[in-house]
Amino acid sequence: MAANTNIKIAYAHLTSRVKQALVAMLSVTFGISMYIFMNSFMSGVNNVQSDLAFSTLAHIRIYNDVPEDKTNLLASSASPNQVINLRNPKIIQYTDGIKNSNKIISQLSKYPQITGATTQVNINVFYLNEATKVNGTLSGVEVDNEDKLFKTSTYITDGNWNDLNFRSDGVIIGTGLAYKMSLKLNDNLVVSTAEGVTKSFKIIGIFKTTLAGVDNSKAYIKIGAARQLLSENQGYVTDIQVNIKDYNTAREIAQQLAPSIPYKVDAWQIANGQLEAASGLRDIIAIAVSLTILIVAGFGIYNIMNMTVNEKIKEIAILKAMGFAGNDIVQIFLFQSIVIGIIGGLLGIVFGFAVSVIVNQVPFHIATLSTLPMTYNIKDYIMSFVFGLITTFVAGYLPAKKASSIDPVSIIRG
Amino acid sequence: MEKNIALSVNNLTKYFHEPETFKVLKDVSFDVQKGEFLSIVGKSGCGKSTMLYVLSTMDTDYEGNLMINNTNLTGKSQNELAAFRNANIGFVFQFHYLLPEFTSIDNVMLPALKLGKKSKEEIKEKAYVLLTMLDLKAQANKSANKLSGGQQQRIAIARALINDPAIIMGDEPTGNLDSKNTKIVFDIFRQLAKDKGQTIIAVTHDEEFAANSDRIIELSDGELLKSYR
Repeated sequence: MAANTNIKIAYAHLTSRVKQALVAMLSVTFGISMYIFMNSFMSGVNNVQSDLAFSTLAHIRIYNDVPEDKTNLLASSASPNQVINLRNPKIIQYTDGIKNSNKIISQLSKYPQITGATTQVNINVFYLNEATKVNGTLSGVEVDNEDKLFKTSTYITDGNWNDLNFRSDGVIIGTGLAYKMSLKLNDNLVVSTAEGVTKSFKIIGIFKTTLAGVDNSKAYIKIGAARQLLSENQGYVTDIQVNIKDYNTAREIAQQLAPSIPYKVDAWQIANGQLEAASGLRDIIAIAVSLTILIVAGFGIYNIMNMTVNEKIKEIAILKAMGFAGNDIVQIFLFQSIVIGIIGGLLGIVFGFAVSVIVNQVPFHIATLSTLPMTYNIKDYIMSFVFGLITTFVAGYLPAKKASSIDPVSIIRG
Repeated sequence: MEKNIALSVNNLTKYFHEPETFKVLKDVSFDVQKGEFLSIVGKSGCGKSTMLYVLSTMDTDYEGNLMINNTNLTGKSQNELAAFRNANIGFVFQFHYLLPEFTSIDNVMLPALKLGKKSKEEIKEKAYVLLTMLDLKAQANKSANKLSGGQQQRIAIARALINDPAIIMGDEPTGNLDSKNTKIVFDIFRQLAKDKGQTIIAVTHDEEFAANSDRIIELSDGELLKSYR
């Protein structure tokens, strides 16, 4: 009975001053939608940046490294009294590349965190034509898996990535390389390996990653053709590239993999410290920005709710004079703030989504982008709604609690 | 403790601390009989409203002792006092203090809905009886802020009566009313004291109103000057 009465009073408060309730709701809406928009935008930008960074870089790379430094093999066996003279110790690499790639690939497929793996035969080559000689990397790839990991097909500006599947004499080259060598689609490109083997390929595609280092020196051929160039048999690869669910966990997963794989397993951070720093800083900025928005929006909501309660303080005193207890007062105002929080929050979600969609249409033609980036992460939407509810709850509760515990007379007397 | 005593205060002393410490009530003691119609008079600023607020339990910042219906109310918590007020005290302010969002009948029903002892239908019926008694039946479903000052004050009185409180207190309940409405209100108080044995304590400036009550307590500078019939 009493609870019903309280809700009735709360409802009367809400509906008697629609304008004020609306202002309170809008402040919640604004805070929540800005939080959603900024977070979607920030993580959109972050995703694009990591997509760009990982356009040629895998999360984990498995390759055959030179063996550990064992230049002082005698250190452990020699006694302190002995004098040993070692001259010109050398590290000898007995094997080249990875011979049993299929076994490793099937081993990798057992890890649930691994989303994809592809093998490559990377060869340092000279690209030749009559006048110029450019050195670079020729990458023999599994066409489909390569695309799955690096979305290489999205960087193709001329020709078609999948054509590589059908052309063992086809090559896809970077725009910079094409420019340097004055080459275009369907021209021939001669490649020379370190061993002096030369072979002519037909250009069936041109790609542009906007990473100059890659665009100026890289070319893709079918993995079989690369093995042929090196006179290696089926199963030979130089690199196994692995992608995982969350690239931030690459280090841990590389550590898990390392004991069972007889080759070097490197997380991307090992070779790309600068990328790791950039990624870490972006994450920190994203957190700082969203925290700032939360705090600013939170204070806005708190202020409005506080004002609402203060305007009703005389009525609180009258209700108390009539015998309403402190809890009733708190209930009345909590009910109002929860209604404001829920409606404002739902509006905020809709509004935030709308703003995100609109901004996502704004043209932005740089690198591989055509519009401003945006992600639609359900977690952001839930977080902001929960946050909005909590803030309105606290903002309604604190002043109501304060008002509920003072003598009614001290309010009435003014 | 005598059975007939409705309210008793002992050595009531109260200070105001703003803007500077000032003793408003000085060692006031008196008893009020059940069914008595008591008027409290005195010059402006003598502390009579302040005293009434203490008596109504709405002000707990005092020294001394307050008992109503043999219940010691000094030192009780806010919520206990609120529940006690709800059941035992009807208060009429100088200004009506109705909730503007509600209709007259809803305003009258509020304390009873809070008390929760009767069904909503019974409460509504009772509220109608009170409004009829106060000649306000036609205004029952009008919004409280659309009524005249006299009507609003009478609705506030109906609200004070809805729970059949043992004590009805009024802080200049007729202060904003014309002589006709004042007479109506006075007659209602008179009748309640006589017929239902409800105790009335009213602070008033109106000499005629005071003269017609059972007893007058006169305050001067926070001291009980005299008490006479």
